[in-house]
Amino acid sequence: MLRIPCPHCGLRDEIEFRYRGDATRARPAAGAGLPAYTAYVFDRDNPLGWHVEWWLHVAGCRRLLKVVRHTATHEIAAVLAPQDPLRLPPQEGS
Amino acid sequence: MPGPRRIGGGLLTSGGEPVNFRFDGRAFQGLAGDTLASALLACGVRVLGRSFKYHRPRGALTCGPEEPCALVDVISGDAREPNRPATTLALHEGLVAESQNRRPSLRFDLLAVNDLLGRFLPAGFYYKTFMSPAWAWERLYEPLIRRAAGLGRLAARVDEHGTPAETVHDHCDVLVVGAGAAGLSAAARLGAGGLRVLLAEADTVLGGGTLLSERWDPWREERVASLAGFATLRVLPRTTVLGAYGHGVYGLLERLAEPQRERFGGLTERLRIVRTRRVLLATGALERPVAFPGNDRPGVMLAGAALAYLRRYGVAVGERPAFFVNSDEAYESAFALHAAGVRCAALVDVRRTSPAAERARALGIPVHAGCVIARVFGRGGVRAVTVAARDGGRHVRVAADALLVSGGFTPVTALATQLGARLAWRGAIAAFVSELTGAAGATAGAARGVFGLAAAAGDGARAAALVAAQLGVTLPPDVSPAPPQDAAQGPLEALWEVPGRGKAFVDLQNDVTADDVRLARREGYEHLEHMKRYTTHGMATDQGKSGGLLGAAVLAAARDVPIEEVGQLRPRPYYEPVPFAALAGPEVRGHYRPKRRLPLHEWHESAGATFINAGLWLRPLVYGGAGWEPVLAEARAVRVGVGLTDVSSLGKIDVQGRGAAAFLDFVYANTFSTLPVGRARYGIMLREDGMLFDDGTTSRLAPEHFLITTTTANAAAVLEHLEFHREAHARHLEVAFTDVGDQWAQFALAGPRSREVASAVVTEPDLSNGAFPFMAAAAATIAGVSGRLFRISFSGELAYELAVPARQARSVWAALLAAGESCGLRPYGLDALNTLRIEKGHVTAAELNGNTSARDLGFERMLKKDGDFIGRALSERPALLGPGRLQLVGVRPVDRTRRLRNGMQLVVRAAPTTSLGYVTSCTPSVQLEGWVGLALLADGRSRLGTRVLGSSLIHGELEELEIVSPHFIDPENQRVRS
Amino acid sequence: MSAPEAIASGVRLARVELEVREWIAFDEPSLRRYASGAGIELAAPQRLHVAADCVTLSIRPARWLLLRAGGTTGAADSPVPSAVGACVELSSSLAAFLLSGPGAREVLARGCRLDLDTRVFPAGSAAATLMAQVAVTLGALAGGFLLLTPASTARHFEEWLTATARPFGVRAAGTLTFQELSGDRSL
Repeated sequence: MLRIPCPHCGLRDEIEFRYRGDATRARPAAGAGLPAYTAYVFDRDNPLGWHVEWWLHVAGCRRLLKVVRHTATHEIAAVLAPQDPLRLPPQEGS
Repeated sequence: MPGPRRIGGGLLTSGGEPVNFRFDGRAFQGLAGDTLASALLACGVRVLGRSFKYHRPRGALTCGPEEPCALVDVISGDAREPNRPATTLALHEGLVAESQNRRPSLRFDLLAVNDLLGRFLPAGFYYKTFMSPAWAWERLYEPLIRRAAGLGRLAARVDEHGTPAETVHDHCDVLVVGAGAAGLSAAARLGAGGLRVLLAEADTVLGGGTLLSERWDPWREERVASLAGFATLRVLPRTTVLGAYGHGVYGLLERLAEPQRERFGGLTERLRIVRTRRVLLATGALERPVAFPGNDRPGVMLAGAALAYLRRYGVAVGERPAFFVNSDEAYESAFALHAAGVRCAALVDVRRTSPAAERARALGIPVHAGCVIARVFGRGGVRAVTVAARDGGRHVRVAADALLVSGGFTPVTALATQLGARLAWRGAIAAFVSELTGAAGATAGAARGVFGLAAAAGDGARAAALVAAQLGVTLPPDVSPAPPQDAAQGPLEALWEVPGRGKAFVDLQNDVTADDVRLARREGYEHLEHMKRYTTHGMATDQGKSGGLLGAAVLAAARDVPIEEVGQLRPRPYYEPVPFAALAGPEVRGHYRPKRRLPLHEWHESAGATFINAGLWLRPLVYGGAGWEPVLAEARAVRVGVGLTDVSSLGKIDVQGRGAAAFLDFVYANTFSTLPVGRARYGIMLREDGMLFDDGTTSRLAPEHFLITTTTANAAAVLEHLEFHREAHARHLEVAFTDVGDQWAQFALAGPRSREVASAVVTEPDLSNGAFPFMAAAAATIAGVSGRLFRISFSGELAYELAVPARQARSVWAALLAAGESCGLRPYGLDALNTLRIEKGHVTAAELNGNTSARDLGFERMLKKDGDFIGRALSERPALLGPGRLQLVGVRPVDRTRRLRNGMQLVVRAAPTTSLGYVTSCTPSVQLEGWVGLALLADGRSRLGTRVLGSSLIHGELEELEIVSPHFIDPENQRVRS
Repeated sequence: MSAPEAIASGVRLARVELEVREWIAFDEPSLRRYASGAGIELAAPQRLHVAADCVTLSIRPARWLLLRAGGTTGAADSPVPSAVGACVELSSSLAAFLLSGPGAREVLARGCRLDLDTRVFPAGSAAATLMAQVAVTLGALAGGFLLLTPASTARHFEEWLTATARPFGVRAAGTLTFQELSGDRSL
């Protein structure tokens, strides 16, 4: 079970959050075309290591959070606001 | 004193009252403080169950929760709880228990023939034997195997009131697992530092290994007493840590003592979910058996278990026990039994010399050094053993009624490995150890290979200081009394297996023998985890607790590699069997999900409503009566007069801010910025992948203030969708969403006479068609209450939706009923609502099913041409625009007397098994003759006017259907504007 | 050391009649100025502030719940200027309970995943979380816990609370007024 340190509410159980997908993908500009949108919606990496994800704290502050999580150990390195730039820790072995 | 084998002096049973209980139908007497196993052993009962596969008679191997064999069913009334270890099952007056896997009785088991057929039932036999014919698996083999195998039986019984159960959430700084020498010492140190400590101990008493030695009584009692002095420390006896779940979360099972059971309404187990900053694992080590022929006979027991039965319950498990050991530690059992007056038949030591052997000889115990046990006599219980010299010389048969075995001690590493700790081989103890490091916590005592009680106590203090330092706490000086010194120990000599004829078990619970392990290797299952799956070694509730390392060692020998290369099975949660009731907690039956009730729930009840679960909501389906007639009567009232229905469960979201209109343009496929204040508009939302997400009516209450309505089913999802897209993609827009779904009760007043009724209760605004036309929205005064009025219609008739604060729902509803009395106003439920909307061709969750696009449902003209919106790009995917899409149509049986079914597949006679689509919603019509339905049909709009077949294989129905427009009534939308 | 046998006893459960509004800040400093002009003190994040006529709770950034006596009007009713923020009427949306007595924490621990230990969640703390599978806003008062839950799940929540509190000797304490709540001046 994940416990996510919400910057607004403190450390909370996973059940309070809703996973909202990959936060490494930026929504293409309007009119960017079908290939760009197809990639945005469907193409996903499956990294072993650090990943950035959207989590919405639905049972708490209802804010959207950018969570930096390790996909193998589930360690959470950082919880950021949506506008914060991506700060991915170095991937081991790469 | 009950039981011939009770010699008295038990720590837990001294002074205990006699307790009557029944086992397999026979009456017995034990003492308060006994477990079922100790009481039966005291009475001389040695066979406590039959084994899993071979149905061999089995006794208790251990004296604790790690017991692989002596699992019983506990019976109370007609309830039956399986797989309770007799070794931890507390005896109480009137306890009724039954052994498992016996058919028909423990003494005479018909399936024990499996034992004789053993050479035909090797590991993996079911993969090979029961292959053909294919039909036989389901009908013959599987039922037979299921009957023969398996552990306890579940009672097929559901208690109406339910088994009481609860889940408790706990928090602490340090969870200390195990209250032996290391755990007690660590917990007291952490408590002295003012840390919030939870000390969990599976046993009913604290002390672990110190309970087995009188020398340790003073130290233990002082330490246990000292815990009471720490305000921030809590002790949970009878509590097993079931598993580690990451991020400092642990699952614990607490078995309640009698006074608490009474207070908590008969609750027996409580699940605790602990969140901790650090864990301190002081889980100790478990004695392991040796694989030799007959090592499973009743009366073969671990040496430490015999010591525990003596010390804890005053029970001597044999009158003339033999011992089979490979370490000095195991001699403690022989010394204690000897001191209690039990004569030892033989002490067989694998090693040639040791200090303990010298002490034993001095006491007159016959020591056979450099020897092994080669054979065990006695099927129903040990009668004699064969002692054989390791160098192959002499064989001696020794009469004995118990064989007490020790193959060494294996540190308990289950939780550590679940936390990702690596295992390291320690040759001196011939076992793997694990050490927790970093932020998770620390390991102390025998769990990390520090053997000897004094050493473990010291190690507990060391680990406590380490963990405290990590948490920024410096512990005060240690003023606890010094523990007794550990005696000097000779080295252990690893011994895993004594070769010989007959079954030598490495896993007694799953009936896995050393030969099975070798067979697995020969067949290519060389990896430990593959061997596990092939043989079932270390599965089920045992998870390799007693024999896990033994199996690994046999595999290593077979592969001719060091055991370090093979490793050790990774035990999974739970550490011991857990009743489902404890896991489910109170969230069962009526409380499985919360129920959301409408503001008028009680009124609906009193009006005789039948309720239906719509998501979490309880909604009135129909008022009074079963069948279609009352539904159609309600619907007919709306078509010809006026009806009133409660639509309060619709999602309602308040949207405010300077960016509100722009944001709605972004999340809806149609435009809202052009909507005038005081008007409502039907809107559709797409997902980013271009599919329809939700629909509903949105009203503009003020230039920067909108009210969204959503479908009942999607209310929460739509709010999340809005919040996500605003924060992820539209942060520049100032807009705030508030869930006002529960704030507003909302009623639909529908039918040609609805204006008459509305006019009687609405004092403002003016309801004339010119002043308040179709799709108007306004603040209103309704029966004296400030509310909102919308001229929107789901039924297809002239209609109003009236919204008032939920607290005022009752009075406004009553005013409407009163005002409508003269017009024949009739309340209608969800079924009638559905009939009306199907006739009108309005879609709901059945059509907005996640697989339909706006074009599929005929909404293409709503998709705005300009500007970005969620789902725009992918709604133009070629696959969604091309031919073959399922499109919304109406269907009617050609024979008007025939009915439709939801889910009916649409086919043509030439290809009756190729689905062209399906019926999504259907109803008998109040407007037209017979049934009408909505359907999704491949290229449906081009098939209007043609016929297809509707096939329901479940009902054996095949109907000819007309394909028509989904708008069965008033396609020109005249009525809603009247 | 407290053995589980020594679990505290004695719990009171009461409904509380409240008017509720939510204030939303588009411009937080301005909203704060507006509030203090109206005599309302907005609580700090994850806190609850008790005043004689209005209790404020902050469980979401830039949002406050304003609670006041049932059937009354006051400064909290005045519309928030749209340049500053927004307000939403929620009196019918939320049901309020007060759970008090020595066993209150033990009862809540049977559903609440938050650490309610007095050192972690002292009086004056506020939080939004889940209990018994429904949304609950929780405020620690000196005299007990204020619990707000959506009106549609109030009956489910009350049934769960009552059943859970039974072993702790729960007493139904009827309906409390806001004054009884805000009389709690020890914050």
